Amino acid sequence: MRKRDEEMGLNMTPMIDVVFQLIIFFVVTIAQQQKELEMELRLAMAPDGKAVEKKDPRTINVDVDDEGRIYIARQRLSLPALRAILRQSVNRHGQTLPVVIRGDLSARHEYIRRVIDTCSEAGLWRIKFAAIKEKA
Amino acid sequence: MARKRKKHDAPAAELPMTPMIDVVFQLLIYFIVTIKPIDVMAHLDVSRPSPEAQQQKLDVPKNLIRIGVFYDGFAMNDKPVPESALDDLIGKLADLDRKQTILIMCSGAAPHEMLIKVLNLCGKHQLANLSVISTN
Repeated sequence: MRKRDEEMGLNMTPMIDVVFQLIIFFVVTIAQQQKELEMELRLAMAPDGKAVEKKDPRTINVDVDDEGRIYIARQRLSLPALRAILRQSVNRHGQTLPVVIRGDLSARHEYIRRVIDTCSEAGLWRIKFAAIKEKA
Repeated sequence: MARKRKKHDAPAAELPMTPMIDVVFQLLIYFIVTIKPIDVMAHLDVSRPSPEAQQQKLDVPKNLIRIGVFYDGFAMNDKPVPESALDDLIGKLADLDRKQTILIMCSGAAPHEMLIKVLNLCGKHQLANLSVISTN
């Protein structure tokens, strides 16, 4: 009888070990995936710019790399596609949607201008430029 | 006659803590090593003319402060200004009137970083009415 009672005790150690191993696996693989998806955007420094405190959840972030390629949420877009997305957003949320342009520091202004003009065409006027206030 | 209940001397279920602490420390070390602090971002607001206004001939009032942003430098009211002097000049302008509109005329070939520099200096001197137009 005593022996049976001892056998009933569940050994938690291997289970916890396996759970932690799984956590480590997922953390490592997710971090790697994120790194692969991360764009090589170098933002300009603006140490005296206004720090972002409250971000409007409707904000559309448009990334422009040094060769003028446009991305939203790491998805590369052509100008007509960007226009369509912005128009759709305006129809849904109105013209007060803020647009944040995250341009690479070496991107020519004409590339940025194309995005600004597309925003203007869609009726969006709350345009901001993203920069780094303080390096981590 | 009441039957006496036989007491079993089952061993107290004890969770071995050592492996768990080992794994927790491993996780802690992993996060400490891989953590990447996030940069503090700044958003630089600008005003843009509407597309209709862009199509019209751009009439810039002569008394308006114009800052030119070019590929290789800056200009203020059409006079070239070295980058080192730009801060002082914008500061002096701001001392006169912080509510005045500053027209930033950015050339298409100028790198985005140059525009951010000007916007940052305007932000530093609390000039809020900034209008950015693109020139060819």
